[in-house]
Amino acid sequence: MTKFIIRRVIEALPVIWLITVVSFLLMQQAPGGPQAAFNQNPHITPEQVTAWLQRWCLVRNADILQTIQEYLGWLGVYNCTGGGFLSAHGLPNFLPEFLGGGTNGVIHGDFGFSISSGQPVLDLIAQRLPATAILMGTAWILWVVIATLAGVLAAVKRYSLIDQVITIFSYIFYSLPTFWLGLILIFIFGVELRWFPVQGIINVRTSPAPFATSAYWTAFFANPWPQLYDIGAHLILPVATLIAVSVAGDSRFVRSAMLESLSQDYVRTARAKGLPGRTVVFRHAFRNALLPIVTNIALEIAFLFGGAIATETVFSYPGMGLLFFDGVNGRDYFLLMGILLIGSLFIVFMNLVADVLYVMVDPRIKYD
Amino acid sequence: MAFPDMQSPAGLQLGGPSGGAGADAEDVEVALESLSQWQLAWRRFKLHRLAAIGLVIFGAMVFIAVFGPIIDPYNPIFIPNAHRPGGDPPSLAHWFGTDNVGRDVFAMVLNGARISVAIGVFSMIIAGVVGVVIGAVAGYVGGLVDNILMRIVDVFFAIPFLFVILVAARFFGQGQLISLILIFGLLSWPLIARLVRAMFLTLREADFVEAARAVGVSDIRITFRHILPSALGPVIVAMTLIMASNIVLEAFVSYLGFGLTEDQTSWGNALSNAQTVLSQGNWWWAFFPGMAIALTVLAINFIGDGLRDALDPRSKL
Amino acid sequence: MTQLGTPPPEDVLLEVRGLRTEFRVLDGTVPAVDGVDFSLRRGETLGLVGESGSGKSVTSLSIMRLIERPGEIVGGEIWFDGRDLLKLSEGDMEDIRGNDITMIFQEPMTSLNPVFSVGEQIAESVRLHRHASKKDAWDRAIEMLKLVGIPSPERRVKQYPHEMSGGMRQRVVIAMALACDPKLIIADEPTTALDVTIQAQILELMRRIQEESGAAMLLITHDLAVVAETVQRIAVMYAGKIVESGGVQETLLHPQHPYTEGLLTSIPSRVARGQRLNVIKGTVPNPFRLPQGCRFEPRCPYSFEPCKPNEPQLETIGTNRKVRCFLHGLPGQPAIPVPAGAGTGADA
Repeated sequence: MTKFIIRRVIEALPVIWLITVVSFLLMQQAPGGPQAAFNQNPHITPEQVTAWLQRWCLVRNADILQTIQEYLGWLGVYNCTGGGFLSAHGLPNFLPEFLGGGTNGVIHGDFGFSISSGQPVLDLIAQRLPATAILMGTAWILWVVIATLAGVLAAVKRYSLIDQVITIFSYIFYSLPTFWLGLILIFIFGVELRWFPVQGIINVRTSPAPFATSAYWTAFFANPWPQLYDIGAHLILPVATLIAVSVAGDSRFVRSAMLESLSQDYVRTARAKGLPGRTVVFRHAFRNALLPIVTNIALEIAFLFGGAIATETVFSYPGMGLLFFDGVNGRDYFLLMGILLIGSLFIVFMNLVADVLYVMVDPRIKYD
Repeated sequence: MAFPDMQSPAGLQLGGPSGGAGADAEDVEVALESLSQWQLAWRRFKLHRLAAIGLVIFGAMVFIAVFGPIIDPYNPIFIPNAHRPGGDPPSLAHWFGTDNVGRDVFAMVLNGARISVAIGVFSMIIAGVVGVVIGAVAGYVGGLVDNILMRIVDVFFAIPFLFVILVAARFFGQGQLISLILIFGLLSWPLIARLVRAMFLTLREADFVEAARAVGVSDIRITFRHILPSALGPVIVAMTLIMASNIVLEAFVSYLGFGLTEDQTSWGNALSNAQTVLSQGNWWWAFFPGMAIALTVLAINFIGDGLRDALDPRSKL
Repeated sequence: MTQLGTPPPEDVLLEVRGLRTEFRVLDGTVPAVDGVDFSLRRGETLGLVGESGSGKSVTSLSIMRLIERPGEIVGGEIWFDGRDLLKLSEGDMEDIRGNDITMIFQEPMTSLNPVFSVGEQIAESVRLHRHASKKDAWDRAIEMLKLVGIPSPERRVKQYPHEMSGGMRQRVVIAMALACDPKLIIADEPTTALDVTIQAQILELMRRIQEESGAAMLLITHDLAVVAETVQRIAVMYAGKIVESGGVQETLLHPQHPYTEGLLTSIPSRVARGQRLNVIKGTVPNPFRLPQGCRFEPRCPYSFEPCKPNEPQLETIGTNRKVRCFLHGLPGQPAIPVPAGAGTGADA
């Protein structure tokens, strides 16, 4: 099994490398480049700008070679301040710092600085990560549970009223644009009924500290309940928006996976053995349907990202999605590249998890 | 057709050499008429009630897209007097109400249909063509070519789609319809390619392909006349899904302000300022364009499902 | 046959009376099983023979009440061990399935659940019907594997179906069918999907097991060679009805229905060298437009006047010998005695 995992990781490396290239190229094409964005921010002095440009090998109107240099510098393979592939210690720059390598670049955890705020990109991402994690985590759990139950129910009670109802709802919700659903929910529950808050993750007026700061966490662990209630209330609408489309789509997938499994010969054999209906469905059919369902779920997590952006922008929810959106608006070069890279790495990781899960769940697969 | 070595069990002499008085075997009716694959598919499709509904709705949208602005009296660019901040609620004069500068929302929906449907249809075609070609090449040729192409596809799948769309739309396509169509199309093809390749991999080993090869059919001909028709089923379904999701994507991108600009109306555009007036209770501006999107996507999904059932050779009538 | 509504005598294990099963599809209703009668004594073996589409598989599934949408059992009685199965609750039926009546299916490659070990699948039955402990059920599974001739049963019992060959999987299926000492085993084309050499082994195994266990067996197949060697009695089906039945030797040596005769003469080995192979002209009737009279009439070389307008009934023409054909007696006519001697050529 470990060999299998290692092999998959190695296979993923070229893809990861390509991702870095694509992220970089995408930003490169941005009209104006980071220099243009610098001009927007009054807090940055010209000296800072020059230092910045130098540190990242950023050159105005770069040619091919300089562009490659810039890429390698961003990656951390090339040492921009010193020039060349060696670090200040004289060893290959791409080595980890404690081995004598450089300190710049993605490989060393240096994702650059956000142009609009001046903060290191990694810090910004770390700040926003908890909010997105909470949103996506809650959504994911709810979505998996609801979709599986609904799908199995619809499959087992095929042609019945429940099946029709579930199917109709699935169709309807699957067709709704996520962000529009958010708007509608805001209107109904936030504006008209006033049941739930419609933006942010905490009530800024009553919260002990801004979210995700250390002051906040201290207060949180001292007395979690009011904060949990606060966060929970703010989560309801965004989570509902986020999962509506996923649940609808997935329940249909679960349903068809179950139907497929139920039509197999071994289910007929199970019935012929006199096993009660429930055993046939859950032990024999579902266990087999689990295979495609599990893979599908692990892969769908990637799409949660997209949904997260839609939800966070509509609800002004302070997560990574909103950060990205602000970054696009502000042409925040490094921030965008950083988020893209981290997001992609997460997805690649989830694909790996899906593969491993599949192998574990299906005894037919030999992973050598 | 008396059996030469046998005695008729009853000892009766029956008929002449041609056998009994019963109808000659050639007159016996063939059990069931045979239909081609596509005829069968069409038959199954027609039966799918939802698909029929979907076809009707989508047809209506296309009709509106093509003819809409001509039949509508209100040109949304024209700005008459606004009656109240945030616009008027739906009334007999303005079926869907107006926005804050007095533009008729119904007109916006009608106009928006044109752009949104166009984006959906054309990006789907681009994605389909590119995806089928690349997938077919990867699937049939195999080897290193396949490997490289699939790595590229993996990259597309690994990078969060929406992130890239936002960046691409904002930086390369803002305000330009053609660029946006291209961007959407070129970012959607990997799904099709992967699908086509998977079908090719299975079908390449199929018996009927081996038979064709044995008879001497050329590779290209095998690809196009033998494998592709079988592979097309899931591909067509996937393409309808792509069309639906691209329409939604464009709406989102425009809502965020990264897509089309104010001078071109799309459904997403119409929604972009709607959020600001929601708190004042003006729901119609946000509701109707979004509803149009939802209906169109619903229709496309119905059609997609009908197609899926119709084109699946295993599905029972 | 005993009259409807009353159970058959004690020694008759299974009696099917007037069974009718339909399938409601788009183009109409297919009467897959259209009035089928036969019976089986305890310990007896009966072969149900017919070509594809004759309704033989549907008959076996109907007995087990495993017919699902769009199919439905619409008439008749199925008496098993003194009870009409068609009147039982689903719960009672579940007690019978896998326990008193077990089934062996055609496709060993797909009949077994791929995610459970073979031992688990056998033990599951035993735990359910015998209320055995996990350990006892497992031991029984090993015992059954040994019984069906699988080498190293202790090792094999933990394996998954995909680790076994087709023939071995079928042995596992047979082991599963025997695990709870059934009274009746229904085998639906058990050897069709196997290699010829394996076929012989499996048939031999089934015969031996049937003899040793004393269970009755209903063997369904399209292959006359298979029935000739394995069963005591035979029933031939065509277009949803039984057209002939009797002892296997006698029926195959002296077929009384033109269809059976046609089947036998189509066997290559029975035709002398240099002669043409016989072919039954035509094809099976369109299930939506069945002939008004005898269903075999359009293809029958002996067809005469009563055959088109009327459908013949299944008549007894000898001890345990039945035929559905006007050649053997119209109402009012004396039954025609079974001719002696005069075989069909080569030895059976």
